[in-house]
Amino acid sequence: MTFNFANIPLAQEEHAREGIDLILPETSELIWGAICFVIVFVVLNRVALPQIKAAIEKREQSIQSDKENAEKARGEAEKMREEHKEQLAETRSEANRIIEDARQQAEQVRKDIIAKSEKDAEAIVKRAQEQIEAERNRTVQELQGTIAEISIDLAEKVVGRSIDAGAQREMVDAYIKEVAAMSGNGDRTR
Amino acid sequence: MELDPFELFLWEPIFLAGTPLAINRVVLLMFVASAACILFFLVGSRRGALVPKGMQNLVESAYLFVRNNIAIDVIGPEGVKYAGYLTAVFYFIFFANLLEIVPGINFPVTSRMAIPAVLALLTYVMFISVGIVKQGPIKYIKGVLFPPGVPWPVYILLTPIELFSTFVFRPLTLAIRLLANMMAGHVLLTIFFLFTADFVRFDITLPLGILTAIVSSVLILFEMIVITIQAYIFTTLTAFYISESLHGHGEEEHDEEAHPETREYETEGVAA
Repeated sequence: MTFNFANIPLAQEEHAREGIDLILPETSELIWGAICFVIVFVVLNRVALPQIKAAIEKREQSIQSDKENAEKARGEAEKMREEHKEQLAETRSEANRIIEDARQQAEQVRKDIIAKSEKDAEAIVKRAQEQIEAERNRTVQELQGTIAEISIDLAEKVVGRSIDAGAQREMVDAYIKEVAAMSGNGDRTR
Repeated sequence: MELDPFELFLWEPIFLAGTPLAINRVVLLMFVASAACILFFLVGSRRGALVPKGMQNLVESAYLFVRNNIAIDVIGPEGVKYAGYLTAVFYFIFFANLLEIVPGINFPVTSRMAIPAVLALLTYVMFISVGIVKQGPIKYIKGVLFPPGVPWPVYILLTPIELFSTFVFRPLTLAIRLLANMMAGHVLLTIFFLFTADFVRFDITLPLGILTAIVSSVLILFEMIVITIQAYIFTTLTAFYISESLHGHGEEEHDEEAHPETREYETEGVAA
C-alpha cells in the first residue's frame, strides 16, 4: 500500500464518501477496464485461440488418419494371415502327396528288387545245377576212362596177356554196364 | 480496531490524477490481470505441438472447457461461434478474481464495479443484438414480452415482468452478483487476516490468533472455489442469454421433439 494516506482526509473533505461509492464504478476504472478487456479479447481471438484451434484440429486429423491407417493395416494383416493359412494347407497337402508318392515308389522298388532277386537266385541255382551236372558228367567220363584203363591194367595183370583192342573194348563196356547197374544210375549212362 | 470499507476499496490515483484516464491501484491490477491472462494463453498456444504437454495441455483444456461445457452445452452446436467471446469473458474474470488470493496483492479487481459493469454491458448489447439479428427486431421483442402458450390475461402481469427482467435486471444482476461475491470475499479475508494480526500480539489471545489463522487458510481455499464459480456463472449466464436470443420462444414451438417439455408447458397453458 504505497499510496499517500495523507490524501484521504483531503479527498473526504472534497466530496463526502457515501456507501454507494463502493458500488458505483469510477470513470477511469471503467475506461481502463474496457480497454483491458478489449485487449484481452483481441489477443485471445486473433492470436492465441486460432493457434489452439489449429493444434486441436491437427491432432484430431492426425488421430483420425492414424486410426484409419491402423484399420487398414489390420485388414492387410488379416488378409496375409488368410494367405498364410492357405499356403500352409497347400504345403501340407503337397507334402502328403510327396510322402505318398515316395511310399508308392518305395513299394514298387521293393517289389522290383524282390522279383529281381528271385530271378537272380533262380538263375544262380540253375547255373549251379548245370555246372554241377557238367562237373558230374565230366567226372563220370573221367572215371569211366580211368576205370577202363585200370580195368585193362588189372585184366592184363589177371589174364597175364594182352588182348586185342576190339576184345578189350567189349569187355570193358560190359563191365561198366555192370558197374552202372550196381550204382543205380544206369538210365544216365548209355 | 477499526475497519474502514472505503480504505479497502477506494484507491487514490497514482498517475494521471484528475484526468479520465487516472491510474490507481485498481487500474494497475487490471493491467496485471490482463497481462497474466494474455500470457497464459500465449504461452500455451505458442508451440501447437501434436502431443500437448504442460502449459499447452492446460490452455487447451481451459479453452475446450469453455467451448464444450459452456458454449456447446448451453447454446448448442452453433455455440462454437461464441466460444471465443465466452473464453475471453471467463478467463478475464477468472484472472481478475484470482488476484484476491495472490499473496502480496490480495485484491480482487472485480470487487470494483468497473470490470463487472463493462462485461455485463457487453453481454447485454450482445444478447440483444443477437436476438435482433437472428430473429428480427419485432419477432425478438414480441417473443420476449409475449411468450407463447400463455392465455392473454396473463400478459397483463407477465409482460411488465419480462420487460424488466430481460432488459433491466439481467445486466444489473449479472454485474452485481460478481461484484458482491468478490467484495464479500475480500472483506471476509481482510477481517480474518486482521483478527490474526491483532490476536497474535498478546499471549492471552494467541490461541484465538492461531484459530483465525487456520480459518484464514481454509477461507483462501473457499475463495478459490468462489473465484472459479463466479467466472463460471457469469459466462454460463451470458451463454444462456445468447442462447435464448438465438432460439427464441417461437422457434421452440416447432421444435417439439427436441424439447418435449415445451409441448407439455403449452398444453397446460391451453388447459388453463
